[in-house]
Amino acid sequence: MGLFILRRLGVMLLTALCLTFIVFFLTNLSPNLEKLAKTQGNFRMTDAQVESFLRDRGYLQPTIVKYGQWLGVTPGWVIEGRDGTVRSKCFGELETGDLPEGETNLCGVLQGNWGYSTVFRDDVGEIIATRLALTGKLMFWVMLVMVPGALVIGVLAGMREGSRTDRSLSTVSILTTATPEYVSGVVFIAVFASSAVGLRWFNGSATSAMEQATFVNFTLPVMTIALYGMGYIARMTRASMTEVMTAQYIRTARLKGVSFRNIVLKHALRNALIAPFTVIMLQFPWLLNGVVIVETIFNYKGFGWTLVQAAGNNDIELLLGVSVVSVFVVLVTQLLSDIGYVYLNPRIRIS
Amino acid sequence: MIRQTLTGGPVHPAARIHARDALAGKLDRREFMARTTALGLTAAGASALIGLSAPALAQSAAAPRRGGTLRMQMEVRQLKDPRTFDWSEMAWVASGWLEYLVEYNNDGSFTPMLLESWEVSDDAMHYTLNVRPGVSWNDGTPFTAEDVAFNIRNWCQRDAEGNSMAGRFAVIIDDATGEAMDGAIEVVDDLTVRLNLPAPDITLIAGMGDYPACIVPQDYDPADILSTQKGTGPYLNVEHAIGVRSVLVRNEDHDWWGYAAGKGAWLDRIEFIDYGQDPVSWLAAAEAGEVDLVYESVGDFIDLFDALGWTRREVVSGATIVIRPNQLAEVDGMRPYADKRVRQALVKAVDNTVCLDLGYAARGVPADNHHVAPIHPEYAEVPRLPHDPAAALALLEEAGMADFEFELVSIDDDWRRNTTDAVAAQLRDAGFSVTRSVIPGSTFWNNWTTFPFSSTNWNHRPLGTQILGLAYRSGEPWNEFGFASDDFDSLLAEANAIADADARREVMARLQAILVEEGVTIQPYWRSLYRHHRPEVVGADMHIAYMPRLYRFGFAG
Repeated sequence: MGLFILRRLGVMLLTALCLTFIVFFLTNLSPNLEKLAKTQGNFRMTDAQVESFLRDRGYLQPTIVKYGQWLGVTPGWVIEGRDGTVRSKCFGELETGDLPEGETNLCGVLQGNWGYSTVFRDDVGEIIATRLALTGKLMFWVMLVMVPGALVIGVLAGMREGSRTDRSLSTVSILTTATPEYVSGVVFIAVFASSAVGLRWFNGSATSAMEQATFVNFTLPVMTIALYGMGYIARMTRASMTEVMTAQYIRTARLKGVSFRNIVLKHALRNALIAPFTVIMLQFPWLLNGVVIVETIFNYKGFGWTLVQAAGNNDIELLLGVSVVSVFVVLVTQLLSDIGYVYLNPRIRIS
Repeated sequence: MIRQTLTGGPVHPAARIHARDALAGKLDRREFMARTTALGLTAAGASALIGLSAPALAQSAAAPRRGGTLRMQMEVRQLKDPRTFDWSEMAWVASGWLEYLVEYNNDGSFTPMLLESWEVSDDAMHYTLNVRPGVSWNDGTPFTAEDVAFNIRNWCQRDAEGNSMAGRFAVIIDDATGEAMDGAIEVVDDLTVRLNLPAPDITLIAGMGDYPACIVPQDYDPADILSTQKGTGPYLNVEHAIGVRSVLVRNEDHDWWGYAAGKGAWLDRIEFIDYGQDPVSWLAAAEAGEVDLVYESVGDFIDLFDALGWTRREVVSGATIVIRPNQLAEVDGMRPYADKRVRQALVKAVDNTVCLDLGYAARGVPADNHHVAPIHPEYAEVPRLPHDPAAALALLEEAGMADFEFELVSIDDDWRRNTTDAVAAQLRDAGFSVTRSVIPGSTFWNNWTTFPFSSTNWNHRPLGTQILGLAYRSGEPWNEFGFASDDFDSLLAEANAIADADARREVMARLQAILVEEGVTIQPYWRSLYRHHRPEVVGADMHIAYMPRLYRFGFAG
């Protein structure tokens, strides 16, 4: 088991390395750098000015070297600009032209330095921490609504396959899971928040929920994400439940006169929940996907919104930070799902 | 007895001429106010000259109560050196603690702020600026003539990157050094600055009222104005998260001069909340009760905000949109728009009234492609090139560009996108081959001046010569047209040297004619500007030039 976890962690590191390198490579293509220079400097820079701007700030080194510096395995650049200023990656502008004595010239992710966001003018680590916390809040409420809701629907539908309850609940599940967030979000706003329909039960903007989430301002974004995942998990639960309900031991229990209620709650449920557990864990990466859309629609400034801003403005270091966090979330949830699966189902052995 | 001039001195002779013109109906009231107050008259004094009682000042009958938190929808952008501001929104935040020398009013007049008064000599070559006594910086040091002189010198640094104030003060910039000329800015005493111009220029007071003209302290840090926040204004910024929100709170330790002068600064706290560039989000925020007013309401959303029961504020302005080719831009290795015939073809193919109807729901008046508005004092009636799609196509064929694929870029928003779509549709109807690119606001402004063919919105400015100087003079940072003409530049310099607007109009007519003839841009209409706020908000009139006047904002008592 320990070896298995170690191996998974190794895979995680390798994936993170590969993915960040791809992102790094793409954001460092020369048109993107030119755009960056013009945003940072000014829009009317000549090509020569763009080149000296980029050179002076270390952007024109070979990609692999820059990547090493971002990681913190190769020493940060020290470049004397054409204007005579000596700039360094780790210590900013150097007045004397020399690096400070006795300090290592390494400042990358490994040293805990995530870099500086060119859009938000702040430390990447700080931005990601703030924004991730906000998305965490959203996720928490989504999970709280989605998981119990999906399990109840799935179990109710699956305990009597083909019944009227099953048909109607299945229809609802298919409908919600077939409706992407960018459709359901807009429909919800139109129906429940705008003057167009006139219900105005909830807010169509979740900006105030960043500080103080209430039923009124947080319901729509939470429901938009939750409904999408809910249908999917409910379908899996139902399938698993119907399978269990046709198993031999359930039939035996029924023949022995155990009440239907006890059969479902005591005998079927535990076995039926193994499959949904994996699905629920795999929903995390999906949710990360959904928050990008939902946070943009509802103006909730979390992790997904940050990703959109970083990508739209070619904010290299912020985008890399976002990628690392995403890789981490995806792989950790997968690892947890594998481990949890083993504990839930003793029949599975990891070779 | 009302005081006729700000200084109490004699009335500038040109003011009496203007008064005669106004009474004879040659000048409308807005133009009259703009011209005479720029010559140093008080608004009341100017009104008296044409026999009107002192205008009711823009303060509403119900005085706001002191206190309260106002939440406003507004984009929160990165702050930078004020003289390089390229967004009014930057000035909105900075105006919490940085104030202006003068204030431009919706009726076209100018009110003194950090100046107590000013006088312009008859030949418009000497300005006497009288600094308001009793004003102090928020660290307690007094605000003096030296501070004013420093700011003007600072504006005159032509080589400072992105400094658009240099365009407004070009007349006193020494071409050799790129700085203010020796002797041009003279500190007479602690409260008096005299500007000695080598040539007449009538736009300087107006320039001081524009949004990048915030008055900064002499020891300010251009790279980070948020760090010290030394200023003369009543508020301080406590949070500035780009793209998220910015918060101003009352600076309790500072005895703002405006309290004694009855200016207000009613609110305790002002929050600017960023809802992106999509008006749908602004409306959602309004419906959700998350904001009390919006920065601006546009297009179809004006009716939607009306339907919410919010108060509508409207002002007719010289704000506009240009759909322009960039003459220097290269597409596939050639410069398609360097050819005058191509530009003229574009202009001729478009009916400006259609753009106004489809793009801005007819909330404005059609324009004539020369970017000088009827409300500018020196406006001359110059007709556009006639709308003639057949002739347009013929011109295009003559230029050998009939099969050129025009790519027309716009920002992804409501009215700018719709207007640009209307232009594209008319070009297609005329037989041009056009593709449309719609770019999100987050990236559009990264290179707005260099798109080969795109649309840009322009704010209103008090004088027609100002806008021509900023946007059309050769080599200006905001010259997005790639337009460079020696004739134009020298005529503009000539216009700037004529204090009398009627005399200036003759030169102006030639300038406007050059812009029309060269097909520099499609400039289809003048917009009315709107803002909506909750009924209990007062003092939040829409401003003709988007200027922040936060001290007026408050809640009804």
